[in-house]
Order: sequence, then structure tokens, then C-alpha cells
Amino acid sequence: MITGLLTSALLLWTPLALAAMGGLLHRVGGVVNIGLEGQMLVGALIGALVSGATGNWALGVLAAAAAGGAVGLLMSLCVTRLGANEIIAGLGFTIVLSGLIGYLLRSVFDVSGTLRVPGLDPLPRVLGLDPLFLLAVVLVPVVAWSLRNTAAGLRLRATGDGFDAATALGIPANGIRDIAGTVAGTLAGIAGSHLVLGQVGLFNEDMVAGRGFIALAAFYFGRARPLPTALACLLFAVFDATQARLQTSGVPAQLIQTLPYLVVIAVLTATAVRDARGESRRAG
Amino acid sequence: MSVSAGSNRTKYSRALTSAVRAVVPFVIALVIGGTVLLATGHNPVEFYQLLVREAFGGTDRIAATLSAATPLLFTGLATAIAFRAGVFNVGVEGGFVFGGLIAATVALHAGLLAGMVAGALAGVLVSALPGWLKARWNVDEVVTTLMFNFVVSGVTGWLVTTFLQAKGVANSATTLIPQGSWLPDLLPPYGLTAGVLVALALVLLYALWIKHSVLGYELRQTGLNPRFSAAQGIRVGRVIIVSMLVSGAIAGLGGAAHALGVVHRFVDGFSPGYGFTGIAVALLGRNSAVGVTLGAVLFGALASAGTTAQLFSDIPLDIVDVLSGTVMIFAVVRLWRQR
Repeated sequence: MITGLLTSALLLWTPLALAAMGGLLHRVGGVVNIGLEGQMLVGALIGALVSGATGNWALGVLAAAAAGGAVGLLMSLCVTRLGANEIIAGLGFTIVLSGLIGYLLRSVFDVSGTLRVPGLDPLPRVLGLDPLFLLAVVLVPVVAWSLRNTAAGLRLRATGDGFDAATALGIPANGIRDIAGTVAGTLAGIAGSHLVLGQVGLFNEDMVAGRGFIALAAFYFGRARPLPTALACLLFAVFDATQARLQTSGVPAQLIQTLPYLVVIAVLTATAVRDARGESRRAG
Repeated sequence: MSVSAGSNRTKYSRALTSAVRAVVPFVIALVIGGTVLLATGHNPVEFYQLLVREAFGGTDRIAATLSAATPLLFTGLATAIAFRAGVFNVGVEGGFVFGGLIAATVALHAGLLAGMVAGALAGVLVSALPGWLKARWNVDEVVTTLMFNFVVSGVTGWLVTTFLQAKGVANSATTLIPQGSWLPDLLPPYGLTAGVLVALALVLLYALWIKHSVLGYELRQTGLNPRFSAAQGIRVGRVIIVSMLVSGAIAGLGGAAHALGVVHRFVDGFSPGYGFTGIAVALLGRNSAVGVTLGAVLFGALASAGTTAQLFSDIPLDIVDVLSGTVMIFAVVRLWRQR
């Protein structure tokens, strides 16, 4: 029972952690990425199609990464170069992408909502673990270390902490944000491919089901630090695995599903209250 | 920063600019939608002609368009009021849905008027906490209101499968409201309800209120520059809370009108994203009363025509989402340098 729960929690953790690490990098660079949801959906579809067409899971994942990255870059350009509000751009992209994908499914593939891809090559498993899980596990310390110890990490943090100051110092802040947005899209795309290739085995237009927003919740909860963010993802994954199991025993799944979102509100409030207190202390 | 240069502009050229600003995103959306249609082997010109015909060709079609525009008038107006005060409320969807559930439940037992009032109060409930958190502690309202949408969706989904579910119904829905408590139809066969009148009255009130009342002035000032407003003696926190409560009330009322006028009950999946389309409406209409009305009619036309166009051609309704999302993005994009 416990092992089963743990295995499925880890399976659910992988896409959350991948998307959240992307969102975290973007956040450190100073942009809240609301578009993760749509980017995951694109990654899921492209991953399924390419994996099916080539019979090779690795190519599927790479294509999903490329597609997610392209969308991430496009969204970032709207924000950095065209002055779009990041929230509206993120929501807008998510709406466009889910509409476009629904349209393509019905118009081109002639299916309503669910696409079975013949020849789809699922992720291989070693001892019940898949390569993307390992990628996510490796990514967490790598991101933490890079943010702290590399020039790229320093520049990203500088961009996020003080955009104008960074620009004044000659750091190409907009370019750095674009790179962060592209990386976020890439990771979200890979996360989407994990849903298809690592979990379900077919594509459904509702399959992301708010996971992009849960990833957002996770990096808010982790205050944009890699290890706490990854742990927040684990917490949400355990919730998710538990509610799937408790459904039959009458515990309301819908209420458990609201917990990540309530946690974000609580975390934001706690942070703001602390900041306000700190400010008044400094002022007084 | 960019406002100062506006003083030497004539009123006429400013009106022209805002008209261009509203048309350009829509044209871009049509081009992108057209590209998608072309790429999938459809004729975009033919499809757009069909859309216009289905949206405005005849009394029945105009009634259908106005009926589809009604929820968007509510959600667009609710969004615009908050935006006007500089509060980025993206939680109108939640207010609409919760308002719909509560209105459907109350109207079942206490009639039409009580249902409408309860719906508005339910909307207020959804927006109150993010509004207060923003005003008191400066908690980022964009994220809290967005998160509240998911919380509301979970809570309503739970309520409608437990306490409030109709007996003997397989899907998650409340009991059908008796006909005496429905919002009356204006043009009986066409499904245009009195909800549209309520919405238009609210839009008119908004236009008067924002231009000619003290609170409306304070609201606009706060939206333009909260720190300057505070220095002027405007109680910014109060203005923010009021704008959020009014926004929530209108969102909830919209849900109530949809439940009591159109659906006659609450079902899970009650809103196909009216709150989010409302954001596009407010952005496109630049938060003005006339703009919101035109925006709502435009998106209403898209939705109603898209539904019937789906029957006559094999073009899926999802194309409408592509169009409205694109409008949303390009309504906030600066395509030319503002000076």
C-alpha cells in the first residue's frame, strides 16, 4: 500500500518538478510564468506524435522540448519586447494553445478530445523509474548549484532582483529573460511529454488538468528556491496520489485538489505580512 | 512615463487611437485564425462570411448573439471595474461560477429575486478575501484571484456532487429551477433573457458612476497612480476593496443570470471560461463602458456563430478560443512605441 502510493507519487512528481524548475528559473529572472499549462499541453501532443511517428521515445521527448521551448520564447518575446503584461500573455497563450490543439484534434485527426497514437514508444523503465524522473532528480541540485555558483546564475538573479540596475550594468536583461522563458518552456514541454510517454500512453486535451498551475503553486510555495520547490512538488504529488486512492472511500477528491491553491494563497499572505512587518520595523 | 505627452493631443486623435488599438488585435486574431484555417484546408474568407451571417443575419441570429454576449457583459464589466482601479482581478471566473451555484440553489427555494441577490453576494464572497489581502497587506492579487478560481471550481464541483446534487440525475447538476423563478425571455423562441437588460443597465450605471461620482474619480485616480492618489488623500485601500467587492458582485450576478435565465440549474462545467473571455473583453474595450459593450457583443457573436457554423461546416468551435486568446495577447502588446 505505502510502496504503491510512493511509486505513483514519484510518477506524478516528475512532470510537476520539471515544469516547476522551469517556472522557478523564469521567476528568478523576474517573470511569473502563467503559460506553463499551455506549454505542457503542447509538449504532450508533440511528444505523442513524434514518439509515434519515429517509434523512438527519446526523439519524442526532444521534439516536445523543442516545441515547448519555441512557445516559451514566443511568449517571452511578447513580454520583454512588446511590453505585454506577463499574466495576460500567459493566460492568453494557454487559451490559444488549448483552443488550437482542440481544433487540430477535431479538424485534422478527426477525434474528439482523445488521440491514440499508433506505434507510440513509451519511456523505458529501469527498476520502475524512467529517464525523465532521473532528469528531474538531477536537475534540482544542478539548478540550485548553478544559480549560486555560475556567472549565468548570477546574471539571472541580477536581472530578477533589479531589472534597471542590471541593464545599467550592461547585463542584457531582456535577452536573459528570453533565455529563461525559453528554458521554462522547454522544461514544461518535457514535463508534458512525460504525461503521455511516461504515464498515460495516449493524448487527451484535458490531460494537463491544471498541473501547470500546480507547478506555479510549487515554486511560489518553495519561494523560488530549487530544493523547497521540488519538495513542494512532492507534497502535491502525494496529495494527488492519495486522493486517487481515497476516492473510493468517500473522501472528497475535489476538496483535496484545492489544497495546493490554498497553500499558495497562504504562502503569499505570510510572505507579504512578513515583508510589511519588516518594513514598518525598519521605518520605525 | 508615457502619459505626459498626451496633453497636446486632440480629443479626436485620442479617440481614433483607442479605436485603432481595439481593432488591431482583432485583425491580427483574424489573420492568425485564418492561417490556421488555411493550413488545415479550409477557406477562411468563406468561414468568416459564414460567421458574420450566423452572428447578425436576421432577428433570430442577433438574439442568439446578444444572448451569448450577456454573460460576457457581466464578466467583462466585472473585470473592467477592477482594472480601472489598478487591481488585476483575474478571478471573475470563480465569482461567476460560485454565483451561479448559489443562485440556482437559493432560487429553487426562495424564488427569482432572492436567487439573484444570493448570486451577487456569493460573487462578493469570492472577491472579498483577495481584495482585503491586497488592500491590507499588498498581497499580489493576480495570483490569489487566479488561485481562487481553482478553489471555487473544486468547492462547487464537490457541492454539486454531494449536498446540492439533484436526486436521480446521473451527472453533477442541481435540481431544475421551477419555471416561475426563471429570468423571463424577451423574445420567447430565441432564448434572449432579461439578463441582458440587467447587464446593460449595469454598464450604463458604470459609465455614470465612473465619470460623475466621487468614488468613480477616486477609482480612476487610484488606477492611474496609487501613490499619488494616497498623497492626495484618497484612501487607496478602501478604493481597492470597494472595486473588488463591486467586481465580485457583478461577476456573481452574471452567474446568477446565466443560471436563472439560460441553464435553469447549476451543472459542473457551468462556464466555458466566461471569466477569462471577460478579461479579453475588458482589455479590448480598454475598460470603458462602450468598449466593454462592443467587446462583449463581438465575442458573443463569435461564440454564437461559431456554434452554428460548426453545424454547417466541419470547422470545430475551438477556433473561437484561438481567436479570443489571440485578441487577449495582442490587446496588451505594444506594437508601436508610445511617446
